Amino acid sequence: MTDLAHLSARGLAKAIRDKQVSSVEATKAAIERLKACHELTHSIITLEADEALSAAKAADAALADASAKGPLAGVPLAHKDMFDRKGKIASWGAKIHPVTPAPADATAIARFKAAGALQLAALHLAEFAYGPTGHNYVLGHARNPWDPTRITGGSSAGTAAAVAYGAIPAGLGSDTGGSLRLPAACCGVTSIKPTWGRISRAGAMPLAPALDTVGVIARHVEDLALTLGFLAGPDARDPAASSVAVPDYVAHLRDPVKGLRIGVDETVVAEAHPQVQRMVEGVTNILVQLGLTRGRCAFPDWQTLDHLVQLVQLPDASSPHSVFLRTRPFDYGPQVRARAEVGHFISAVDHLTALRARGMFLKRTLEQTFKDVDIAILPILADPLPTIAELDVSGGPQVQAAMGRVVKYTRPINYLGLPTLTLPIPRDGGLPNGIQLIGRPYAEAQLLAIGQAYQHEVPPEIARPLKL
Amino acid sequence: MPSQSDASPPSQEPAWYLDMPPERRAAAKAHAALLAQTADRIARELPFAADVDDFRRVLVQEATS
Repeated sequence: MTDLAHLSARGLAKAIRDKQVSSVEATKAAIERLKACHELTHSIITLEADEALSAAKAADAALADASAKGPLAGVPLAHKDMFDRKGKIASWGAKIHPVTPAPADATAIARFKAAGALQLAALHLAEFAYGPTGHNYVLGHARNPWDPTRITGGSSAGTAAAVAYGAIPAGLGSDTGGSLRLPAACCGVTSIKPTWGRISRAGAMPLAPALDTVGVIARHVEDLALTLGFLAGPDARDPAASSVAVPDYVAHLRDPVKGLRIGVDETVVAEAHPQVQRMVEGVTNILVQLGLTRGRCAFPDWQTLDHLVQLVQLPDASSPHSVFLRTRPFDYGPQVRARAEVGHFISAVDHLTALRARGMFLKRTLEQTFKDVDIAILPILADPLPTIAELDVSGGPQVQAAMGRVVKYTRPINYLGLPTLTLPIPRDGGLPNGIQLIGRPYAEAQLLAIGQAYQHEVPPEIARPLKL
Repeated sequence: MPSQSDASPPSQEPAWYLDMPPERRAAAKAHAALLAQTADRIARELPFAADVDDFRRVLVQEATS
């Protein structure tokens, strides 16, 4: 049969259901791949091999007596270590974290469990998920599986590295300013950052709740569709969780994409490195070959959006840290400490102005940017994949500018709350990168259908160090 | 033992309670000042009745349209 590492989560679930492989065999193989991935990328925070194997035995028993439930029954996965799990302490990638075990699972974790998935490990993230590059000055930096001298992107660094390596087919992440899209792009895989509120954040470590969005990183778009289908929906534990009906995203993967209109904001794209501009052009051409129609669009002034999202994010992210910044400042890594301090200098009035203006800017974007197009395309990284050393700015004076350049194309979209799908570029033997397709609110099914068509032309890959 | 006046917050200094070296404090102030210019410009065009829930209202409208 096919190498298990290459299977999608959906494909692996089918193989387990069809008794082509047992959950125990799949889990043992995944543990070995994850260990090898960790050696290369520093992607694991906690490996839970024994627990996973016990769960896999139980899954095999349930499959044998036909009592197994869920579309991912017996499938071993792993997630970013920022979600509550009953009886465990999440590290948050930091020295400061909960001191007592969580009393209940985060909603997203509970929904993965209800879908039958197992959890092998808790995976690397930027300290407090507050970093876009994979640097973590407390745990050590994550390394890219395509080239370990390069960044993984962050903050969902371990999930992206493990998915790209083929250790797991999919895993949870979160995105406040780019934390699903940047690691997916840097590691050459896909991600879905759904509409703000589409997936409950209950039990997820808050970074900046006005912007925090839970989502999934996977190699196969079909896994994004499958997982979003059971993760999305209302939750009494998160009042921001949307009650908008959840479509059958997997069924919609076959929706025709011919005739959909893709918009390019040439002014915004022109601010990227020329090589990145060519990537956007290349992916747009592939989408046009698939039947999409190319058009132009214009976002509201990009720098204004970038300032507004910072006016929301900086105080929102600083507030939970205000006590610890005073009582335990040396337990922070230098970069997060410097960034968390800045939020204290934003006035409450300016913060509220940015929050009050958010509806106006979203409405303006829907009425103007999306007036003549169905989706928009933008880069994710403004530059070709940087090295870990190039962005090792710690908490120095250039930290705001350096991090600002990394999230230039991602964090303004969080202000608008729009769904985005990350697609890897065709590598042609080179380093990975990715683009984002941006849709109207709740247009995830449309984005995923386009992504599915794209993967017929640009199939998922397994990452191994390149000999460049 | 610091005197009462030593322990009092400098009245004009934001985030006086954070232990920050002068250069980082200056950089944080400069960044906040840059963002404040944008906030001021947007505040001038923002309808008086705009409120923080408008964002969710637009999301809901989009879902029902």
